[in-house]
Amino acid sequence: MNRIPGKSYREATARQRVAGLLDADSFAEWVGPAARATSPHLAALGLPCSFDDGVVVGQGRVEEAVVTIIAQEGQFNGGAVGEVHGAKIRGALQRAVRERPTAVVFCIDSGGVRLHEANAGLLAISEIMRALLAVQGAGIPVWALVGGSCGAFGGMGIVARLCDAVVMSEEGRLGLSGPEVIETVMGVEEFDARDRALVWRVTGGKIRRTLGEATVLVEDRLSAFRAALESLRHSCPVALPRTLDALQAVQDQLTARATRESDLRDGQALWDRLGLGADAAWMDTAQFNRRLQELA
Amino acid sequence: MNATGPSRLWNHEARRRTARLTRCAAFLRGKEVAAADMVPFLEAVLEPGDRVCLEGNNQKQADFLAAALADCSAQRVHDLHLVQSVLALPEHMTLFEKGIARRLDFSFAGPQAHHLARLVQDRAIEIGAIHTYLELFGRYFIDLTPQVCLIAAQAADAAGNLYLGPNTEDTPAIVEATAFKSGIVIAQVNELRDALPRVDVPADWVDCFVVAPRPHHIEPLFTRDPAHITEIQVLMAMMAIKGIYAAYGVERLNHGIGYDTAAIELLLPTYGAELGLKGRVARHWALNPHPTLIPAIEAGFVERVHSFGSEVGMEAYVAARPDVFFTGPDGSLRSNRAFCQMAGLYACDLFIGSTLQMDLDGNSSTATLGRITGFGGAPNMGSDARGRRHASAAWLQAGREKCGGGPPVRGQKLVVQVVETWREPHHPTFVERLDAWQLQEDMGLALPPIMIHGDDVSHVVTEEGVANLLLCRTPEERSQAIRGVAGYTPVGRARDRRFVENLRDRGIIRRPEDLGIDVRQATRDLLAARTIKDLVRISDGLYQPPKQFRNW
Repeated sequence: MNRIPGKSYREATARQRVAGLLDADSFAEWVGPAARATSPHLAALGLPCSFDDGVVVGQGRVEEAVVTIIAQEGQFNGGAVGEVHGAKIRGALQRAVRERPTAVVFCIDSGGVRLHEANAGLLAISEIMRALLAVQGAGIPVWALVGGSCGAFGGMGIVARLCDAVVMSEEGRLGLSGPEVIETVMGVEEFDARDRALVWRVTGGKIRRTLGEATVLVEDRLSAFRAALESLRHSCPVALPRTLDALQAVQDQLTARATRESDLRDGQALWDRLGLGADAAWMDTAQFNRRLQELA
Repeated sequence: MNATGPSRLWNHEARRRTARLTRCAAFLRGKEVAAADMVPFLEAVLEPGDRVCLEGNNQKQADFLAAALADCSAQRVHDLHLVQSVLALPEHMTLFEKGIARRLDFSFAGPQAHHLARLVQDRAIEIGAIHTYLELFGRYFIDLTPQVCLIAAQAADAAGNLYLGPNTEDTPAIVEATAFKSGIVIAQVNELRDALPRVDVPADWVDCFVVAPRPHHIEPLFTRDPAHITEIQVLMAMMAIKGIYAAYGVERLNHGIGYDTAAIELLLPTYGAELGLKGRVARHWALNPHPTLIPAIEAGFVERVHSFGSEVGMEAYVAARPDVFFTGPDGSLRSNRAFCQMAGLYACDLFIGSTLQMDLDGNSSTATLGRITGFGGAPNMGSDARGRRHASAAWLQAGREKCGGGPPVRGQKLVVQVVETWREPHHPTFVERLDAWQLQEDMGLALPPIMIHGDDVSHVVTEEGVANLLLCRTPEERSQAIRGVAGYTPVGRARDRRFVENLRDRGIIRRPEDLGIDVRQATRDLLAARTIKDLVRISDGLYQPPKQFRNW
């Protein structure tokens, strides 16, 4: 028997992801480990700090094209956004507006705001959103990659949906309130956060792809995410237009979907309605993508 | 022969049995008892002071019968002596709190370990002894024969034949001892069927059965999600495979249930294959159907597996691999804890497992303060069987190392403890004194609850290296060999550096580099499966994991 092919994206650290996604040796980091830009809030609370505050930002190349890359480290405080962490992301986005790379690659792996940093974290999220819109306003597309163990939740779930393309693996998750939050607030009858299969059927890559919120669904391999970036250069070369008409069209689509699917409580129910089959959750990624395409 | 008079009776037990059956006859329709009648039925059958086996295995639980017994009146049923391998259910504790039961002989108390320790300290329970499985099964036939046993089966037919399903576990040993010593055998079954897939217990050994309102509980105890295996565990697995499995040519073995040994199972088809070990090691197993064994089975490493019990979700996979597992004509697994423990003790050349504490003599224990966990089967499998007489290459090589090169009169089982030097922050695995000694004092036990005795341990594997205790000639060498792989624990830091380097020169301690292992290669990429889903895929969809293990 051979090994499972390829390095897992989900299990990779932020730095391994950056190395695996970019052309070899093309990465130049901004505010790197030597800068020791760490969180003053965590230090004040006597909590462990990380030398990069849990996010790696910089510039590199994908097939020779220059990109700005941002990668959150899910293994440090669940990728949560604090003041310094947020400032590094915002700064990278603002620099992208000036330097005009081909695209911004945003590896999101985060539960949202870092609660220890309260308002500073909330402010950071809104600054990220504003900066991201400015990048898109300059015509530069932002591609989100969601395949880490923390998924993209809270404010970072909103940020993911602002992006021009979202690449997900089946193992990735995207949502606003995390499963445990929903269970705590609404009760276990509403949502059983320990039912992992349910969590994935509601927030995982397959259902997000089915709903169109993920643009591409790939295998959980670093090389598959890299291949998705290569094809996005052709399929999503510029930022989506943010005209009032375009936004209104999206709003209308969402309203229609909310009405049409208001009775569905589970991803499987949608797959059943679409005729994707009882084994949709089980299919491998290639098969799932093929079935989805056949039905489209 | 002296005449003792014509009046002497030789069938007291049979008469007592008849009296019990007469008392409960009103509740029986054929051999079936209605679930609603279970409490008065048990009150009629049982007598104060009875020895009762309330079947609790480490997986399958006669949970309906346990609840019914706990609901009995303590005026009518009291002072029972429980003789069963595992205490897992809260109802088991209720029996002692209500005075229904007073005395206990058992093997293992995993989930109730804290509660049990409290009852002992409150003197609400008398403990006869904490056994290994084989000892307890042995005593079923000597001095702890149950007068009544309450067992769990998958299905019964109207005549009372039982089908035990894949989780046979302790049932054959319990029923054999009870039924053939005039005891009463009572079974809870999940379903009544017209025809059974196979008969595991014939009807004339069974006195009555009840169709329980819910299927009996089975805990998926042996499922280890590969996602949780760490790179340190991968490194230790590489050292075990190269430094022990390959070095001794271990063909027959038993594994513990931790992540450390799951890592070995998942490395056999990758790292093991790279070392050319397929067909040379790990061919015959005494092991439950671990899901993490699937890749090694599919790769052709594993030729045969006999099991103590089963594992939830593995039913279809096992049924589809009858060349590997022991299955009935119906296709389902036939497990048997007593036979598999015996196989682990006498027919295996290696046991490898983990522990919570180890001292400088190599004694290890999973007992920590305030908990009585008991032993289960590890002491049987993790001990040298001094009654063994047949030879194998691995057994002979270990025997030669132990006796220092002369012609050995006996071989030696390889008993390997694989542990990280710290089990969690502030809790070193290596200690000067086991908590077991304190526990012995607190609980008034005859012996400290040591899981594996140091004189049985052949190797200790940690992230720092492998210590071969067979080659140690003095107690000092032995303790320095253990210190030499104990890392930055206080025990490890107290090593004599020169002494340890000398042990290394003699091959008693071997570091990863001494074994030709590049620690940078020890990544999760080496695992044959990194997720539960990988296991399902490799099994071709036959493995159906319980829902707490799936994310789809």
